[in-house]
Amino acid sequence: MSDTPSSQTEFAVISEVSRELFDDALRLATQIASSEREVPDASLLMIRGGLLLCVAESRPHRHPVGCGDQMHPGSAAERAIATGEVAVDAKGAVIPVRTEGAVVALITVDSERAADLSAGQLEQLLTLASIVRGGLSHDAIVTALEQEAERSRRLDRLKGEFLNIAAHELRSPLGVIRGYASMLSEGMLPEADRGGALARIADKSEEMARLISEMLETVRLEAMGLDLALAPVDLAEIIAEAVHVTRPLLGNQHRLVVQDHLDSVTVVADRDRLLTVFTNLIDNAIKYSPAGGEISITCEHDENAANIRVTDEGIGINAEQVHRLFTRFGRVVTPETSHIRGSGLGLYLARETARLHGGDIQVESEPGRGSTFTVMLPSQ
Amino acid sequence: MPPVGRVLVCYGTDPRATIAPNTAWSDEEEQALEDDVKVLLIEDDVDAAEMYRLRLAADGYTVVTANDGREGLRMATDEAPDFIYLDLRLPGIDGFEVLEALRADPETATIPVIILTNFGEPELRERGLRLGALEFLVKADTTPGQLSESVGRATGPRPSPSA
Repeated sequence: MSDTPSSQTEFAVISEVSRELFDDALRLATQIASSEREVPDASLLMIRGGLLLCVAESRPHRHPVGCGDQMHPGSAAERAIATGEVAVDAKGAVIPVRTEGAVVALITVDSERAADLSAGQLEQLLTLASIVRGGLSHDAIVTALEQEAERSRRLDRLKGEFLNIAAHELRSPLGVIRGYASMLSEGMLPEADRGGALARIADKSEEMARLISEMLETVRLEAMGLDLALAPVDLAEIIAEAVHVTRPLLGNQHRLVVQDHLDSVTVVADRDRLLTVFTNLIDNAIKYSPAGGEISITCEHDENAANIRVTDEGIGINAEQVHRLFTRFGRVVTPETSHIRGSGLGLYLARETARLHGGDIQVESEPGRGSTFTVMLPSQ
Repeated sequence: MPPVGRVLVCYGTDPRATIAPNTAWSDEEEQALEDDVKVLLIEDDVDAAEMYRLRLAADGYTVVTANDGREGLRMATDEAPDFIYLDLRLPGIDGFEVLEALRADPETATIPVIILTNFGEPELRERGLRLGALEFLVKADTTPGQLSESVGRATGPRPSPSA
């Protein structure tokens, strides 16, 4: 994961800012910037008491202006907040909206030529800032702050619940590691059992390491969203690597079948995270088909979307329990599955990752017959 | 609960009086004695169950294992264990439900139960003890050796191997 500036952790999206106001701002900013670029973008970022609120209706498929790019230390947005003055950098101009001595909002204009904004254009932007200041009613700010407080309380509750379950999940492998280590050091184990004990210690250490990584990823995801390193990638290549990584996990009774001639399909994605999604799904298919059978991977796509299906002939899951699959620690434990180890975070992270890419994961399953997980991703 | 040892009381002319009270157990007798204490592990984590089984067996206990709550209840009746280790998170019915059912059945009501779990919350501990568990052990904080000692506390001292 790339470094994430800490300021990004404080973002919350609100829609309460008057739509009309937003449209006004957008129109004005568009007018200002259209002389320089064909398609400018503008959005408002409000800050208050350290809280940064983004309004990003203009570009639903991208990070709001400034959230992803402009809040890095030394950025124009940061300077505008610090100084209360218009700041310009290579990505655009940032105009602070001030009330009572505090910067409560930012207007940003995406333009690589923002440095060339004329005095007249700057004047217009400052006028816009004053319109916005007038429009940011006290009520809107209070509402936003209340929402933020509620969100914070909800996160606190989730955190407590998460900690309890996380502690339980971490203690399970730890108990076995400590147990065998103590038996080995006490000399309690017959020679014949020592190799097995060491192997269990190694397995359980690996399980703990994976669990810790997934927990950290979950906490990051919920606290600040994942910072995706997006680039055009070939799905066929990622699927091939996922198959390569998971092949050693196959039992003797499993057959892993990948569709012949997977077309090269380009998607804009975070390659490592997408790889984790597919390895999680294949690993899952292997674990939940203990009697073996075929695990097939297919991919179909058109100009808009790619659907990748991972199908197993395993134990499946009944309809009432499907909704739990993608929740944190929502692993469905039945007498049939209780011996299968899993953190209960893999599918949750997989679906959240797919959603962050503008896609989703769906499951169809029939108990005793198997399951199909479909990853849907927008293609290019 | 069956006895875990024997006390010989010898009277005057009884021919058995020729057996000295402190006679060492024969190997067969010792084995028979050790077999006397049967421990039921109700534990869905097969790796943990196998580890505890190894240790308890090394200390001379007979160990039977159930992987879920219902199987545990059935084995508590069928196997008539002297002692039960009970996990809390189990598939099907959880450990608290198992404990309640054990206590409600006259056949199993007096079998000592120790809860062995990875949940450490005080309210769960209180609930377990209130339902009649002897102890509440957190697996990650309890070595198999300590676990084995807890059976001893509940069922009486084990005969020393050299007795």
